[in-house]
Amino acid sequence: MSSLSDPAPRLPGQQYFASIARWSPGEIIFWAALLAVFFVPDANLPLYGQIVIWGLFAMSLDLLLGYRGIPSMGHAAFFGIGAYTAGYLGKFGWTEPISGLVLAALVAGLVGWLTGRVIQRVSGIALLMVTLGLNLILYDIVHRQSELTGGDDGLQGVVIAPVLGLFRFDIFGRTAYLYALAVTFVLFLVARALVKSPFGLALLGARENPRRMITLGTPIERDVSTVFAIASAMAGAAGALLTQTTQFVSPATLSFQRSADVLVILIIGGTGRLYGGFIGAIVFLLLRDWLAALSPVYWYFWIGFLLVIVVAFFRRGIVPSVETLAQRLRRR
Amino acid sequence: MTSVLTVLFNGVAYGMLLFIMSVGLSVTMGMMNFVNLAQASFSMLGGYTMVAVTQKFGIPFLASLPIAFVVVGIASLVLERLVFRHFYGTDDLTQVLLTIGLIFMSIAIVTYFWGSTYQQVSVPAWLTGQQEVLGFTLERYRMFLVVVGGALAFVLVFGLERTRFGAIVRACVDNNRVARACGLNTQLVFALTFAIGGGLAGLAGALSANLLGIDPNFPLRYLVYLLIVVSVGGMGTISGTLIAGLVLGVGDVACKYYVPQIGGFVIYAITVAVMLWRPHGLLGRRA
Amino acid sequence: MRTLTLSLTAAGLVLGLATHANAQDSIKVGVLVGYSGISSLSGQQTDAAIKLFQKRYGEAPGGKKIELIRRDTTGPNPEVAKRLVQEVVTRDKARILIGPDFTPNTLAAAPIVTEAKIPTMVIGAATTGIIEKSPYFTRTFFATPQQCKPLAPYAVKNNWKRVYVMVADFAPGHDCEKYYISTLTEAGGTVVGNVRIPLSNPEFSAYMQRIKDSKPDALFIFMPLGEPSIGALRAVNDSGLKASGVKILAVGDTTDETYVDAVGDAALGTITTGIYSTQHDSAMNKEFVKDFEALNGKSPRIGWTAIAIWDAFRLAYDGLEAQSGSSFDPDKFMAFVHGRSFESPRGPITIDKATGDIIQNIYIRRTDKIDGVLQNVEIATLPNEGFK
Repeated sequence: MSSLSDPAPRLPGQQYFASIARWSPGEIIFWAALLAVFFVPDANLPLYGQIVIWGLFAMSLDLLLGYRGIPSMGHAAFFGIGAYTAGYLGKFGWTEPISGLVLAALVAGLVGWLTGRVIQRVSGIALLMVTLGLNLILYDIVHRQSELTGGDDGLQGVVIAPVLGLFRFDIFGRTAYLYALAVTFVLFLVARALVKSPFGLALLGARENPRRMITLGTPIERDVSTVFAIASAMAGAAGALLTQTTQFVSPATLSFQRSADVLVILIIGGTGRLYGGFIGAIVFLLLRDWLAALSPVYWYFWIGFLLVIVVAFFRRGIVPSVETLAQRLRRR
Repeated sequence: MTSVLTVLFNGVAYGMLLFIMSVGLSVTMGMMNFVNLAQASFSMLGGYTMVAVTQKFGIPFLASLPIAFVVVGIASLVLERLVFRHFYGTDDLTQVLLTIGLIFMSIAIVTYFWGSTYQQVSVPAWLTGQQEVLGFTLERYRMFLVVVGGALAFVLVFGLERTRFGAIVRACVDNNRVARACGLNTQLVFALTFAIGGGLAGLAGALSANLLGIDPNFPLRYLVYLLIVVSVGGMGTISGTLIAGLVLGVGDVACKYYVPQIGGFVIYAITVAVMLWRPHGLLGRRA
Repeated sequence: MRTLTLSLTAAGLVLGLATHANAQDSIKVGVLVGYSGISSLSGQQTDAAIKLFQKRYGEAPGGKKIELIRRDTTGPNPEVAKRLVQEVVTRDKARILIGPDFTPNTLAAAPIVTEAKIPTMVIGAATTGIIEKSPYFTRTFFATPQQCKPLAPYAVKNNWKRVYVMVADFAPGHDCEKYYISTLTEAGGTVVGNVRIPLSNPEFSAYMQRIKDSKPDALFIFMPLGEPSIGALRAVNDSGLKASGVKILAVGDTTDETYVDAVGDAALGTITTGIYSTQHDSAMNKEFVKDFEALNGKSPRIGWTAIAIWDAFRLAYDGLEAQSGSSFDPDKFMAFVHGRSFESPRGPITIDKATGDIIQNIYIRRTDKIDGVLQNVEIATLPNEGFK
């Protein structure tokens, strides 16, 4: 019996979207913890700042791969485009970080949108090869045009002004960490709203059964370009964050190594959960740092082993596996 | 004119090497739908086997080639039985990541046993230097590669088209379910094909060590070329891999000769163009 | 009650002084080189050189015990290197830095070491102008002009006037090409052609053909350490270019002792510029090589990384000795280093007073086989070559 004081009775669809939009306690704890880390004395903020940036980068790939099912082996191209844009802005006088970041993200997003249009018809191995090929071509150009880009030595003379005119990028990595965290959180909110919206559902549907989605009238081709644009823009933002916090940009930002690393990070953490990218980044980077210190020549072995184990036994990645485990425990 | 033909010849030799390295991957991808990037590690293993066998046991270079084939063939068979067959039927990305993990492990294992330096590779004197052939001065080792590659291509295509085993393999590639329904032991066929593909990769590694050098980072350096040859040629087709290898080999060498400023990026551009035009590769068939 | 307070205060004072004195007695030195990936041999050489140095000269120059903090840069990876420098400087409180190696890593470190005032030894970057990026940089490596210019007048002097120039297609290669070509043209030689080769290039036949077509007297090669060098030298040999009489001139990277064995006999006869050869004929070097091989074995061989680290430690130790008895002052350290001259196993070295860059002998060497082992035999010396 609906009471007269009930505002507008919700339709089942709206109820659905409202219910999935609720914040779980785990999510709140996650972000609170990331903020709290800043206050821990002697915390390794430079490392944690980079973990946050990788997490954002991996999350952007999640939108493409996890939610839309488009595997990309060249996602670093957009990271690098954002990084270099922010670098050139900083080099030629546009030193304000926040506007520089927005501009870098827009440029990367535009290129991403174009790429989305180009790869419409391709799927499977061909898609992997095209994304890989484009990434390698971009890297080759940037790397060899050392007069324009500084090549391997990196772009020289990048100057980034203090955030909001107040907070200088200090050598302890304090400003860098909070800045990266703030930007990442904002973009996360955007991504979260996106995947929990009808658009997000349409992506999932197109991932599972494109033909059915077409019969429902979904503009899946336009959606592919859109999600590509958004994922690329976020990757570009991550790249810009790296440039601004380190005042340096080199071709390593668009290398195949980076594309492969972010893919591995996302798979380890789990696709289709948005948090998978962050968890994967935390696990991968901390583990790599620790293993490299223990066994500098042989840490490759353990990373390879980890990858094999994750793929074999925790195929869906850490986050979904933990979720399943939690559910099973709750049912007991 | 001499230069043009010499360039062509060198390109063909390079293409033959790419072909031998990639043919195993093409067959396993086409037949079992299994993306085995660890083929690059098999090639590395073949190279190290050749070096170990010629330097430690004094076995002549030519004899070391079939040894590399057999050793790596057995190793890939073992790996297939123990690890890979559990992943048939999983999606491409899973297989890519699994085999990349294996590549990382192989790099560390090789470093552990052989160290991180490049191996000293030497071939018998009759394979070094140049030879005058019909007015052209050609490198002997490259002539050797062309001969071996051509012979292998012939054997493989002939084997596939004309022998009973070849017919069985083709049946399994075309339609696994029906083949099984006809009573063919697909498991055995898969295992054997895997072994042959791996052995070929090992052979390629042994052959390429003299031209390309051998060190623990070998798989990561050549992985991209493997993928390019296989995807451009089409999966599951030997002729496709051969043509792709030759096109890419000749294209690469020719571009570097005539337009060196463009350099290596031609190979990537060709790949992207082919993938957009014919996503299943030049000679691949729609699954 | 009073006695208790007094004795506690006294005890506190004594403890305070003791810990203060202890803090004076040690100094943290960061060592940032590549231990994994493409540069793992540099890491091994570094550790070997440090081990020998500390065995000979102890661990406490000027009364301050050295605590080494080793970090793996994993190769030219500025993102990682910058973070490692931050960590080592702000959290581990290192006061002196050896490394990081590679130009991009060193450039990324510049702002941090300037702000934190950390004297930094550049042991793995050759780019010109890099030392000016921080007043706390000083170099024990070499500068690109030192490596790339001398073979131009040498070629002309020997009447190899037509030279083909082949460099790796990345920033250091472009730099080297620029220096060599301008010096060659000034000396009266002719560049009959030049080509830039992609770094990840397995196949040289097309380039060899182009070089043959232009019929040069000599070929000048710039390739970095490792695979590109090995491939280039073998290709030059296999394609018959060398046998046809073309003189092979190259930078020392190509025949560095660490990798030359993988090139094999194809390296014989190559004429290179270098800063160090295990064959250098001085009593100091003979002793250095003997002790090094006795302590660390014959593999990996001694390359220029080992010598750059050795001399970096020499400078660090001498600088610390000069400040013995007082707490570490980075500006005094840099003032001490600037203008300092000393004898190294490679020959005499001077650190330029104005910039902190390195002035050293450059040797023209030829790769020969001595007792079955490939060695760089010095055939000419250019004394006190500047870094410009």
